[in-house]
Amino acid sequence: MSVVRWAAPLITLLAAIVAGTLFGVQLVVLTLAAAALLLVIWLLWSSVQALAGESELTFEEAFSLGARSAEEEQKRAVLRALKDLEYERSVGKISEDDYHEYSARYRTEAKRLIQSLDENLAESRKQVEYEIERRLAKVAAKSASNKPSEQPASAETVTETLTVTVTGAPMGRECPACQVKNELDARFCKACGNSMTEATETPS
Amino acid sequence: MWQSLPELGTGIVYAILVAAAYTFAVALAAGRGRPRLLQAARFGAYSTAALVLFAVLLLSYAFVSHDFRIRYVAHYSDRRMSTAYLLTSLWGGQDGSLLWWSLLLSGYITACVAWLKGRYRELQPYVIATLMVIIGFFAVLMLFAANPFETSIAGARPDGEGLNPLLQNYWMIIHPPCLYMGFVGCSVPFAFCVSALVTRRLDNEWVIAVRKWMLFAFLFLSIGNVLGMMWAYEELGWGGYWAWDPVENAACLPWFTAAAYVHSTMIQERRPMLRVWNVFLICLTFFLTIFGTFLTRAGIITSVHSFAQSSIGTYFVYFMGLILGTSLGLMVWRLPELKSKGQIEAAASREAMFVANNWALLGGMTFILVSTMYPKISELWGESATVGPPHFNRWMGPIGLIIFALMGLAPLFGWRKTSGASIKKAFRAPLIALAVTVALHLALGSYLNYPFFVPRDAFYPGAVGVILQKVGSCLPGITIGLCGFNVAVIVQEFVRGVGARRAAADKRGEHESAFAALLRLVEKNRRRYGGYIVHLGIVSMFIGFTGTAWNIDRETAMVPGQSYRIGEYDLKYEGSRRCPGNPKCSAAEQADIEKMMIFADIEVTRSGKMVGYVHPAKFIYQSQPDGPTTEVSMMRSLHEDLYTVVGQIDPQSKRATFQFHVNPLVSWIWVGLLILIAGTVTSLFPELSLAEAGAWSYVRSAAGVAAGTAFAVWIAMAPGTAYTHERPATARRPQDTSLRSLRSLPTSGLGTAGFVGLALGSVVSFGRRRRVDAKSPRD
Repeated sequence: MSVVRWAAPLITLLAAIVAGTLFGVQLVVLTLAAAALLLVIWLLWSSVQALAGESELTFEEAFSLGARSAEEEQKRAVLRALKDLEYERSVGKISEDDYHEYSARYRTEAKRLIQSLDENLAESRKQVEYEIERRLAKVAAKSASNKPSEQPASAETVTETLTVTVTGAPMGRECPACQVKNELDARFCKACGNSMTEATETPS
Repeated sequence: MWQSLPELGTGIVYAILVAAAYTFAVALAAGRGRPRLLQAARFGAYSTAALVLFAVLLLSYAFVSHDFRIRYVAHYSDRRMSTAYLLTSLWGGQDGSLLWWSLLLSGYITACVAWLKGRYRELQPYVIATLMVIIGFFAVLMLFAANPFETSIAGARPDGEGLNPLLQNYWMIIHPPCLYMGFVGCSVPFAFCVSALVTRRLDNEWVIAVRKWMLFAFLFLSIGNVLGMMWAYEELGWGGYWAWDPVENAACLPWFTAAAYVHSTMIQERRPMLRVWNVFLICLTFFLTIFGTFLTRAGIITSVHSFAQSSIGTYFVYFMGLILGTSLGLMVWRLPELKSKGQIEAAASREAMFVANNWALLGGMTFILVSTMYPKISELWGESATVGPPHFNRWMGPIGLIIFALMGLAPLFGWRKTSGASIKKAFRAPLIALAVTVALHLALGSYLNYPFFVPRDAFYPGAVGVILQKVGSCLPGITIGLCGFNVAVIVQEFVRGVGARRAAADKRGEHESAFAALLRLVEKNRRRYGGYIVHLGIVSMFIGFTGTAWNIDRETAMVPGQSYRIGEYDLKYEGSRRCPGNPKCSAAEQADIEKMMIFADIEVTRSGKMVGYVHPAKFIYQSQPDGPTTEVSMMRSLHEDLYTVVGQIDPQSKRATFQFHVNPLVSWIWVGLLILIAGTVTSLFPELSLAEAGAWSYVRSAAGVAAGTAFAVWIAMAPGTAYTHERPATARRPQDTSLRSLRSLPTSGLGTAGFVGLALGSVVSFGRRRRVDAKSPRD
């Protein structure tokens, strides 16, 4: 697929150049027009296919279904404002008092946003995992009834681990030092900063 | 079904409308809770764009194959025209330029939809839907009012009428596409704005999404407007570059609002303020682009640019009504959510300065808009007023100066509020620069022929007239003073930034050289310092604009052998010659079959030293024998331009009438454009950091730099290739278009590559974050 994506324009250009040198500029335009027409047909076909639900949802598309939330954007704006504040202090455009006042204000705001983001995400994460579980169960059931031998081994392990994690509803693991719950892939605790890598992988 | 090319073309325009409608419907469905349809909508948008491309290629084919059955082809080309100009004819007339407009819009749609892949999932359907409505409108326009594929009623002619010689010019090849790029580019921010209003996602999300698109449109609006000035300056032959023609005004209106938006958006990104204002500015900018097109096309106000009058105006009125209705309706609907949550904390803050600057820009825009429309408005009460350039010049001088002063003041304040001590510190150097500039100007100005005060006539009776006259007469001095102030502000910003970086490095125990610190400073804060570079470009342009105050304009008649003195120049009229035919003409001129050229050869001596020749001329094109064109000949320098025009030449006595102008500092406007391009490209440039960038990002950014530089170089070299001053021995005539296009071939090749590269590079570079996002969605 990706080969076609690169090769098709190149072939068109090549054809246009050859046609141009052999038969003059008119043929160049005509070749390009023909290529454009083919492109139109292909694109329309793809569109109709997607409309009819025949095309597969790629991983990237599925991934992007989770759009950024408003808090995410607010967080970025606040972090940006903090960065600006630092800059302005470094060039002496803002007095020390003001700097401390605003810095504290923005930091509180950033903390609040990050916290609420964490909470929001937990919700959708649960939902996504539920969906994955359902889907995998379906696939597993299907392949079990058809050709059990073709099911790749890795998929099975994935299913296993997922079912394990999903059943224990609020996911994550505790920090060995302060027992605050962290994300599964966290390397350091978000509360005390202790390293999480030594901790045993026990989903609660 | 379609037996011939014109019919096929019309069919394709129908297909564009159908595809746009289909995509619109699918996109709306995707927005109303069926996200899987989004993919179909995306493909639909691509295919609509591809259809437009196909239509344009069909029309190009009709041009290169001289298909004179098509009225548009017959009207704007003939068999003698070179391929390059044949393709220029695509946007030379009304019907074709609408198709060309659609093509550029399609380019934006493709880029935008490709960029949107995997982001702004909730905004996306409505962005696509809005863009489809816009392109649908142009399809309707082409189908019912200005079909480029319409056949002549009388059937095919043996030959076409040819493109207007005024348009057969180097600048005309690049000026309209650049301006259209700017105009059309405002559609994307508008689409985002509408979708944010519809989906209620009114936080910073859409503002950040729109940022670079708006900057990109702003860049091309600036380029387009300045190239238009160049065209007017070199081709129209009246001695100036801006005549406050309605169409020129229409082209610069969105520039003002875009400039205002580029500033006010920075506030919204940091504080939850000015949301209504930003929405308003985006909608207004888009509205003004359509309004400007309407003004140009519908012929409601007479102008040198007037295209043929047609029924197209009615459609534009409806569309403008639709835009106004939709945007105002949405704004009122979402007003409770749009309300500001923050407020300006102190008058001595950057926010306050930005708001003031916004009002000044909007005021300037409104002034131009009302003055342009005044002849039409005054018809309402039965008066038929005309508004001429003097009116604009009197008022826009002070207004422009307010904007210019605010531009210098704003960077001196910090965000939120600024303490008295830091204000004092920030103002010291710029104020000293201001004082020094004014003092130097007062002392040396008259000696250098650039006096501080230039007396003006009272334009209006009464007190307003007197005030305007007084202000007007010291405008040159004030402007130059403010230029000094502004430059000092910008330099100070850079110096302080570099100082802060070096101090921080010292604290860490590392050493950073001043140069390295400067580079890294700009690299880390591209938008800020890019903006300052743009300001520097504006300063340069203001220097150029001020030059008008010291213009010398003369008219005279001479017989061969006579001399005339203007400024420091002695101009000796040597005689006239007619090419092809005269033995003194060059080979290229002898071979020209398109036109007859009558040159007046003038030897130029400056302060007693012979510096070269100028050859103003009259060209008589075979396609338009009744309207000889005036060909300007110039001698340029950063200091001043010698601008010569020949009026009439008596064939027997060779007695000729001339207009001579000495236009000081004009070149600074063009220099300013180059700086502005550099600054905007710096701001637009994708941010790179080692952690997130793969090798491909570097290739891409290198390509972006190369493209941007090539584009700037191309524009910079164009006057050089177009106007070289050589002796008659080598017999090169600057006005010789065939020769000019031949010589500029390598540069225009480079430039075209640069142009395409710049567009692609900038748009592609928008995509830089995707991979990172995919890796760490919560970052």
